[in-house]
Amino acid sequence: MGDAPLLEIKGLGKRFPGRLGREPSPWVIQDLSFSVRAGEFLTIIGPSGAGKSTLLNMIAQIDTVSAGEIVFNGETVKSHDARTLRPGFDRRIGYVTQDDNLLPWRTTVENVLFPIEVQGRLNDATRAHADTLIRAVGLAGFERYYPHELSGGMRKRAALIRTLAYDPPVILMDEPFAAVDAQTRTQLQADLLKLWDIGRKTIIFVTHDIAEAIALGDRALVLSRQPTRIAAEHAIPIPRPRNVQDMLAVDGFAVIYQRIRAAIQ
Amino acid sequence: MTELATEARSESPDVSRKAIVLGGRVLLFLLLLLGWELSARRLGSIFFAPPLEVAMRIVSLAQSGKLLEDVAATLRVSALGFAIAGVAGVLLPFLLRRSPRVTAAVEPYIMASMGIPKYALAPWLILWFGIGDLPKLVVVTLVVFYIIFITTFAGIRAVDRRLIDMARIAGAGETRIAREIIWKSLLPFFFTGLKVALPRAVSATIVGEFLVATEGVGHYIEYSRQISDTTGVFAGIVVAVVLVLGVNAVVNTIERRALRWRPVERDMKL
Amino acid sequence: MNRWRTFFDRLIVLIVILAAWQVGSFLVGAYFFPSPGAVALRFVAQVWNGELIRHGGYTIEEALIGTLVGGVPAVLLPFLLRRQPLLVAILDPFMVGGYGAPKLAFAPLFILWFGIGIESKIALVASVVFFIVYFNTLSGVRALDPKLVQMAQLAGAGERHVARHIVLPAAVPHILAGFRIAVPYAIGGAIIAELISSNRGLGYLVQTGAMNFDTTSVFAAILMATLIVLAANWLLNTAERMLLHWRPPADAMLDPGN
Repeated sequence: MGDAPLLEIKGLGKRFPGRLGREPSPWVIQDLSFSVRAGEFLTIIGPSGAGKSTLLNMIAQIDTVSAGEIVFNGETVKSHDARTLRPGFDRRIGYVTQDDNLLPWRTTVENVLFPIEVQGRLNDATRAHADTLIRAVGLAGFERYYPHELSGGMRKRAALIRTLAYDPPVILMDEPFAAVDAQTRTQLQADLLKLWDIGRKTIIFVTHDIAEAIALGDRALVLSRQPTRIAAEHAIPIPRPRNVQDMLAVDGFAVIYQRIRAAIQ
Repeated sequence: MTELATEARSESPDVSRKAIVLGGRVLLFLLLLLGWELSARRLGSIFFAPPLEVAMRIVSLAQSGKLLEDVAATLRVSALGFAIAGVAGVLLPFLLRRSPRVTAAVEPYIMASMGIPKYALAPWLILWFGIGDLPKLVVVTLVVFYIIFITTFAGIRAVDRRLIDMARIAGAGETRIAREIIWKSLLPFFFTGLKVALPRAVSATIVGEFLVATEGVGHYIEYSRQISDTTGVFAGIVVAVVLVLGVNAVVNTIERRALRWRPVERDMKL
Repeated sequence: MNRWRTFFDRLIVLIVILAAWQVGSFLVGAYFFPSPGAVALRFVAQVWNGELIRHGGYTIEEALIGTLVGGVPAVLLPFLLRRQPLLVAILDPFMVGGYGAPKLAFAPLFILWFGIGIESKIALVASVVFFIVYFNTLSGVRALDPKLVQMAQLAGAGERHVARHIVLPAAVPHILAGFRIAVPYAIGGAIIAELISSNRGLGYLVQTGAMNFDTTSVFAAILMATLIVLAANWLLNTAERMLLHWRPPADAMLDPGN
């Protein structure tokens, strides 16, 4: 883990194209800056709304940037023009979206292997790795099921390990556990930390749930209301490995929680 | 969960309900048949050939081989027209997809050309190509083309953008995206188009044969009418209906196999 | 700025089409393939002397009456049978068979029965329109939210009130969609019947034009028919939009293509 940040967001701004004849639309994101170190688990807290997903979309390069720049590993990304976008930044940035976006015509294992297949890396080793992941999140036995035969939580897990399977150095996550029940959510959080611990990837995890942000992250950023920028930054010195199921009882959790919540009000 | 409860409740009345419905259908069918026979008796055989005679005519046509000849002629033209139009109707939307600008420019003309009554072109085509397979083929191809084009086009538009984004992030190139994401998402729409187009191809051929032909099921129907052979007209129509409905049934079976991955409720019902 | 570009793009495409047409006509010979100019002139002349209007009127008349004769029972039936699901179930395979069967194939039969006058065309159009409108109306009546009906009954509404104020408005979009889909078939069906055997209407003009080797008048008649179909589509779309402005745009792709 070197000192130079892996990812730098500098003065990022976003506004959507206005309608013909109307005034230019307001800035959704303006002057947003932060950086991420390699191997860091960064959580971003913000109220539900367009800002969070838009930010991740820009980092993942499936949406253009209206102002500011993104620097990845020292390389400035050209993302002002839709034609120069490179989605996923040559597979160096993975993205676990809010909707699981599993391909409905592929079975679970086929879905998990999709990126690997597309990248031409399908072989015994990668297949075995996918199997390990499937077992690690409790989907063993469901390899040949189609997405519509799986529960919401199971689809989330499949989408999660699909990205993990091809090992991108940076993974973006957009409220991946928001649509599941509390029980499943805690289990998924624990699974995620277990898996992250093995590879120590760089993760940017967006959520509206303060408790989740604290439980998972090394550092939590708080987003302001529109025009969105970074309102606050909180280090989370809770030692790892963490017990997600009993987070509330952990020393120091309540303090951080109060601090963040107070700042948001 | 609610479906289980309702299922359990309606277990016993369900069986008798099915029996009533089946019985009703058989009854209705017999009534129609009876009505047919009575009409033949009351209204005279010029207007209504009796069912039995029609059945016998079909049998004799089958025995003499004429039935097979005519059906083969009709199916031949339908299949060829369907093949040509099918390929064009699928290719064109994929090509158009590459350039939204060209699509926007060309779209209103394609939509407007849909309003041209294609059968009306038949007499003009006869002037060009004489009586034969070609005028029929052109009309059938046009009819099928629009159906497949419209459904494929709508299907491509309806592809979930998020799946494409996901595939791009995973590193998929344009060909892979077209081949897998768009094509697979498209399949249900495509089959709807097929379901409509294939029977329509057969019926279009038959109608084309009314206007220009020396053989085929449609030709037999129209020729029978011209020589006032009512039995022949009825026989030909029965064959035509069975043919089209049969093709429909075959397509339905193929569709069910190919779309096994779809949740059942999402079948595109009428 | 994008809108202007599209407009000019479309203009260019139109010019290209007309130019190709003109060139084609020149290469093949005006006998087989009349030029756009010749067709336009003949079209105007025949509109001016009323011939196209008269025959177009016959075709429209056939399509219109046939649509009513076929459409009205098709709309009424699902409403009348709303409380008799058993009857609907019994009828279903017959309706599906009728929908799938090629009604146009019956054209010679209708001509045999009703002669070459307007009645056979009406019969054909009616048979085509009936099944399309029936299924669309049926789906509209079925799509009704039973909770709305319950709410009305709680408020004291009788069966007729429920039918008029809850079922009908819910079904109207589907009924309109059914007619919108059926109309091009209605006009097409009328023309086909005329092509087979008639002494008036646009189909008749096409046939006589072809028999006299007068391809220009054939094209003029086809142009008129096309304009009628497009106008009918536009009218129905506008009517639907105006009557249903309270609805988010519904996608009635129940019957694609012509």
